[in-house]
Amino acid sequence: MLASVSSRQSLKWIGRQISNRENPATYFDPVLETLNPLWVQRYIPARVVSITSETHDSKTLVLKPARRWGGFQAGQHLNLEVEKNGRWYSRPFSVSCAPSRWERDGTITVTIKEVPDGEITPFLLHEFKPGDILGISKAYGGEPLPEPTQSALFIAGGSGITPVLSQLEALADLGHSNPLTLLYFVRTNADVIGAGRLEALSNRLPNLTVRVVASQADPENPEFLNESHLSAVPDLQSRHCFVCGPPGLMDQAQGLLEEAGVPEEQVYSTLFAVGPGVVVTEGGGGTVRFERSGLEVESEGNRRLLEEAEAAGLNPRYGCRMGICHQCSCRKHSGVVINQHTGQVSGHGDELVQLCISVPQGPVSLDL
Amino acid sequence: MQKLDEDQLENLAADLDAIRNEQMADLGQRDADHIRGIIRLHRTLEFGGRAMMPLGIIPPFLLAGMTSLGLAKILENMEIGHNVMHGQYDWMNDPELNSQTYEWDTICTADSWKRTHNYEHHTYTNIIGKDRDYGYAVLRLEDETPWQPKHLLQMINFINLSVFFQWGVGVHELEFENLRSGDVTLREKAEFLRDFARKGGRQVFKDYVFFPVLTLPVAPVVIAGNVGANLIRNLWASSVIFCGHFTEDAESFTEEECENESRGHWYLRQLTGSSNFTGPGWVYTLSGHLSHQIEHHVFPDIPAYRYPEISPQVQAVCEKYGLHYNSASLPRQYATVVKRVAAFSLPDRMRERLFPEFNEDGGQVVNQDNTRSLVSRLRNRVSNRLSAAA
Repeated sequence: MLASVSSRQSLKWIGRQISNRENPATYFDPVLETLNPLWVQRYIPARVVSITSETHDSKTLVLKPARRWGGFQAGQHLNLEVEKNGRWYSRPFSVSCAPSRWERDGTITVTIKEVPDGEITPFLLHEFKPGDILGISKAYGGEPLPEPTQSALFIAGGSGITPVLSQLEALADLGHSNPLTLLYFVRTNADVIGAGRLEALSNRLPNLTVRVVASQADPENPEFLNESHLSAVPDLQSRHCFVCGPPGLMDQAQGLLEEAGVPEEQVYSTLFAVGPGVVVTEGGGGTVRFERSGLEVESEGNRRLLEEAEAAGLNPRYGCRMGICHQCSCRKHSGVVINQHTGQVSGHGDELVQLCISVPQGPVSLDL
Repeated sequence: MQKLDEDQLENLAADLDAIRNEQMADLGQRDADHIRGIIRLHRTLEFGGRAMMPLGIIPPFLLAGMTSLGLAKILENMEIGHNVMHGQYDWMNDPELNSQTYEWDTICTADSWKRTHNYEHHTYTNIIGKDRDYGYAVLRLEDETPWQPKHLLQMINFINLSVFFQWGVGVHELEFENLRSGDVTLREKAEFLRDFARKGGRQVFKDYVFFPVLTLPVAPVVIAGNVGANLIRNLWASSVIFCGHFTEDAESFTEEECENESRGHWYLRQLTGSSNFTGPGWVYTLSGHLSHQIEHHVFPDIPAYRYPEISPQVQAVCEKYGLHYNSASLPRQYATVVKRVAAFSLPDRMRERLFPEFNEDGGQVVNQDNTRSLVSRLRNRVSNRLSAAA
């Protein structure tokens, strides 16, 4: 065992010397990609098995990841990695099925709601067809499932239902028998994702109560999460509460649960912003977060990011300070910046930006 | 130097920025397909070269293996490494093509290269005293640098630099000339030396230890083949790079000329300090499209294979402002590089007469006949001395 570990390590060491890269396994990726895309090492390839419509603007993709993927826990998320017009994008989604499905036939489901004017969701939903390959990351995040002895309340909004579907199906697999309640908020009844699966779950879990609230059914009189929804849940204080949805619902739920006397440690929240949730300030400026140093500064939009970082006492690498040499290129985790040289507006996701010629437009998070 | 007034410089910057923005807005699948295609070709050539090398006991295989590996190293250094490190493919968001993490198949570390090349050379292009790439501190190529007797032998430096180019580039940041003068201390260069040793060791291990040991019975053949492949790459890379800035008409600049310069002035310097060479498309690819050094210097982070496409636009801009677009065939440009190295190895007065084309006025005053008579006069004097000595 020890010998095989050390021989693998020395192989990797030799690989690093020869290929001049941290991960020598990716050296032949561009060749492998054309031979068999499932051999690519840079990401975990997954084949699209089928695509089914959930609602007018959401679909479920059945994916078959390469076997080395490693599986997931109910309610976990993963990043889909796709190339669109030469650019790689990475976007988080939840796995919407129970782990038993992956164990049974090596497939998983990811349910995607289209963000109008989004960069990636329309591309995923309209351009991909069965047989295509996309990249996925390892599964991450997620909350522990309620124990068999615990009762639970799930509050989901919109596509925030997707990790809940995974959790409920996993509970059904385990034969969970304590009370479970799902409060599911959608705009209209036409926006219910996974209607068929919820019905099947109700049959498999007699202890499950499902309440779907169409908040915009009567636009004059919208119905959002309120006290009456919670007071209808028996033994609320003893339940473990899972909240998953857009920021408004999250805040509302956390406040109401606290008022209702549910102990804080029993509340698990996953922010599930539909779409980028990007704030773009017209005049420029916003909060700049330097993640590695844990610093935050307020930008007025009149200084470049390099200057903001230096003003905050950081000492990032730089060269020409005029956009030529890329010495100051830095990973941006999120947020929008404008390139003052070209006037080009960046995407909102993870990418390299030139600090010396970029000005934030809204909140920006940098790997500095 | 060729000069423009402030208004012209501003318009020049606007014209070139417009070309640049048009290209940047057009980046997409075509560029991704291009660079991946080149990487596939590189992997194939490297794999093929390394596989053929042990068969090198049969000479044609040695030649084929050497050529294949040499071409692979050329492609990796010039069309992939150099261009990726310039950030030409950063927009792809592909960790394999990231300017900040890419490491290339040569002695010089990527970090050292980005400091001396991307920053110093591309920002202070051809400014004597600031751009250490101009002559690499071992060649005197202009008369701003005072002549010393050691320059008489600089043709030897030129040949050595060509043959051992990757080592020259590797130790470039050591600033040997400044160490000797005491302007920099070894202590300041300790980190550089450590990285240099690690990367140099890695490269030597790969070509002269690992692959020879892997093919032990024929190790000498593999070592010889790898030496050959590295030599092919060194000679080609140095030739391409020398043709970029050392040609007859490429200008150099003084620090005073460039103080507080505008963006337009920086553009002007890139246009007049660089030179192109022409040839078939495959030569462009093997040069990492540094055949289009002018386009590269005005737009260092546009994917290089686009340079031939935008060359007519850049030429039109040069024409509009009456600037010389320095381009000729590769042999012609290389010949003028050799001529420059030879010319500036001579004391100024002798050079002014023998190589009037390098004078400030471009040799207008001293006519060809005069030169010839001077050469013959010199020749006579030398032969007289020789016969007297005999």
